[in-house]
Amino acid sequence: MSYDRCVRCGSCMRFCPLFEAREEEQWTPRAKTYLLQVMDMIEADEELGKEFRRLLFQCAMCGRCEEVCSSDVDLLEIWHEQRAKARKEAPREFQYLDALRRAIANVKNIYGLDPEDRAVFWMDEIEDDVPDIEERVYAPGKRAEVMVFLGCLMSFRASQLDVVRALFKSLERTGTDYLVMGAEEFCCGHPLHLMGDDEGAEELRTHNKSVIEDAGAKYVITCCPGCLIQLRQYHNIQNAEVLHHTQFFDRVLDNPPKYRSETEYPYHDPCELHRISGVKKEPRSLMTKLGVNFREMDLSCCGGGGLLRMTDPDLSEKIMEVRKRKERLESETVLTCCPSCREQFLAAGIDTKDIVEILDEAFEQEELKE
Amino acid sequence: MRLRDVVIGANASIFYRLDFSKIKDVFYPHTEEEAEQAIRFARERSLRITVKGGGSGLSGACTGGNDERIVISTLWLNKILRIDPQGGYIDVQPGLTPDLINEALKPYGMKFYVAPSSRDVATVGGILSTDGGGNDTWVNGTMRDNTLRVRMILYDGRKITVTREGVESEDEELAEELNRLRVTLDDVASSHGTLGFVTELRLQIRPLSEESVVGGVAHFDDATQLGQAIHRMIEARSPIKYGEAIVAAHPDVREDLRPPLITLQFPGDYADDLREILDIELLPDEQVDRMKDIRIKLPKRNPKQGIQLALFEGYGLHGRSLLNMQATVDAINELLESHRYTPFAKYGHAPSKWYLGDNTAAYGMVMHSREIRPEHTTREEVLNTILDIVDLCEKLGVTPKPEHKWPFSDTVKLNRLREIRRVVGGGFNDFLLRDDYREVLRSMV
Repeated sequence: MSYDRCVRCGSCMRFCPLFEAREEEQWTPRAKTYLLQVMDMIEADEELGKEFRRLLFQCAMCGRCEEVCSSDVDLLEIWHEQRAKARKEAPREFQYLDALRRAIANVKNIYGLDPEDRAVFWMDEIEDDVPDIEERVYAPGKRAEVMVFLGCLMSFRASQLDVVRALFKSLERTGTDYLVMGAEEFCCGHPLHLMGDDEGAEELRTHNKSVIEDAGAKYVITCCPGCLIQLRQYHNIQNAEVLHHTQFFDRVLDNPPKYRSETEYPYHDPCELHRISGVKKEPRSLMTKLGVNFREMDLSCCGGGGLLRMTDPDLSEKIMEVRKRKERLESETVLTCCPSCREQFLAAGIDTKDIVEILDEAFEQEELKE
Repeated sequence: MRLRDVVIGANASIFYRLDFSKIKDVFYPHTEEEAEQAIRFARERSLRITVKGGGSGLSGACTGGNDERIVISTLWLNKILRIDPQGGYIDVQPGLTPDLINEALKPYGMKFYVAPSSRDVATVGGILSTDGGGNDTWVNGTMRDNTLRVRMILYDGRKITVTREGVESEDEELAEELNRLRVTLDDVASSHGTLGFVTELRLQIRPLSEESVVGGVAHFDDATQLGQAIHRMIEARSPIKYGEAIVAAHPDVREDLRPPLITLQFPGDYADDLREILDIELLPDEQVDRMKDIRIKLPKRNPKQGIQLALFEGYGLHGRSLLNMQATVDAINELLESHRYTPFAKYGHAPSKWYLGDNTAAYGMVMHSREIRPEHTTREEVLNTILDIVDLCEKLGVTPKPEHKWPFSDTVKLNRLREIRRVVGGGFNDFLLRDDYREVLRSMV
């Protein structure tokens, strides 16, 4: 029981975005491990049990608590385990998640949309820029060095179209031999993992793995840090390296065109990318190579992780509100590299760009110059 | 009962299993007015009041014991009210941490020189209530030495301002009575929240030191050699800017360190003088920083197998207990082992300064101790071990540092607080002053 290792020092409290948003101790990681440590004293109280189970799902799973913890407490692992336990103990309390689970089980995406739409939703929109895009969609027998795993948000959300376009244009410009999984892409299973349902995610992982391996891909690239976690840590893909798109472009572009702009961009580093997957260097390296004038934002959460947008949308929104105010983001364009973080910023009325959009613009500027 | 009432019991001490039904409400005021409202709420219902800061203290005072009570958290009373670099002070609300204060002072080239290892989470209100300090108390003093005045609200709603000289209040009669008792900041320091609610502190700030220091490490054959070296540094009034000794550490956490050892930082031109006292090996800055990092994490790290805890922190080694440190440590370890605890780490500030109950300063080493908890131990056994340690300390001449022990086994301080409370009234943390404290303790272990 690794929550027993928590010495309740409280160092995690002030870093917790939930505490900052809600201003009471029960939202802090220390409070949750404490509750587990005294659970024997309160478990008879049904209402408290219910409140605790709800509290477990009111967390953005940003992992900052674990990062600052000196007592080696695997806090993220604890939250995962406890979420699974909570769902098992009181399934009725989590019926609101069933629609999502059913959608993933039935149509393999989080939106409950026709799986065929994965391949077509964005295609019409980018055909002018990438005329051969249809040929890039995976079908059995097709092979390529790079497999693009778009993820549900990038596949279905209109708000992500500019990023999708910039991604494919950049892949074309770098002469990459790539395929995109299209309708053969199943949800990576991250939402199920976040609700403690790894069993449910297994079928999805097995399918994705077989497609990627059949295509003989040496690299899988994704723009979504949540998908990155799943593909890297849980898909057990053989003979292919899973990369975030910023890693891929940083690797293939030693000397990208310079991005010409006077704007200073605040850079939001997605928690699931830098903290959970340990990808810190490459997004910054790529921006530096491009000559982007950027400044680091606080390494805190946007409020969009951990399924929080679904389990407590008000709280998710409040976290962003607090950040917006604290970091004075009203009139800024925030650079980031995560579709989920982008959704959060956009919902708060903050302009945002993915790094790959900057890359695309740099290419455009160079072409115009020529 | 709601979760917000339960989790307010979370604190770093071993006293954390509270009777949650006794917590009648929890308040998070943002202003002095909101704090006053909370106090009125308690008064109108005859409830006791416990004030909680970061909850990083090890005395358990922020738990409130077993009384029917409300808890007021100071975590959002965290504003800086005024910075006066020329006047050498900063006015703050009690919920700020030293780290946050120093962040705000940086642009002014000033610093608040109180740095407990929990400075990222401990609040200045809490640090004053325990009279805490850090590895530089030897040069910079404890919290009381760095506090100029506090404003407090008493249980009955009256307000007082306490300085180093005395007490002021709009209630002249009250001020007169307290001044007759010669109440000063020394009384608020280490009072463990028994006098009232601190709403504002004026803290002394000084220019950021530009003095360059060098750092190094000295190793010893045994703890007695270490203790004697600390004693010689105290005698010589050595200008040590940072001093941390590691007496012993479990292999799981000591990395490549070889205790007993002491890590010191001091002005470069003092190196030759220091070599007269101990065999210091000068180290590059990054190695000193690494040693400091290992030290600062010791209280929080766990062994690979089992879980550590602090049964009784802050053994104040001075006089004979310092000069015979190995015998002192052996006796403590023997006692711990007889209760099935495995000694895990012993470390602490040295040379260091702290105050005894009669407000005289003691100088020596404040040794923290962590033990690996035996499996299947009862609350009774845990408490008995603590009480045995208290007795042993008495025999060994070890003075528990008020910041870390159950506060009022120091009868001088206990009687003084009782005397003051006859004037200001009770209501705040009454449980600490009652004779049944052992029973209360037992219930919370």
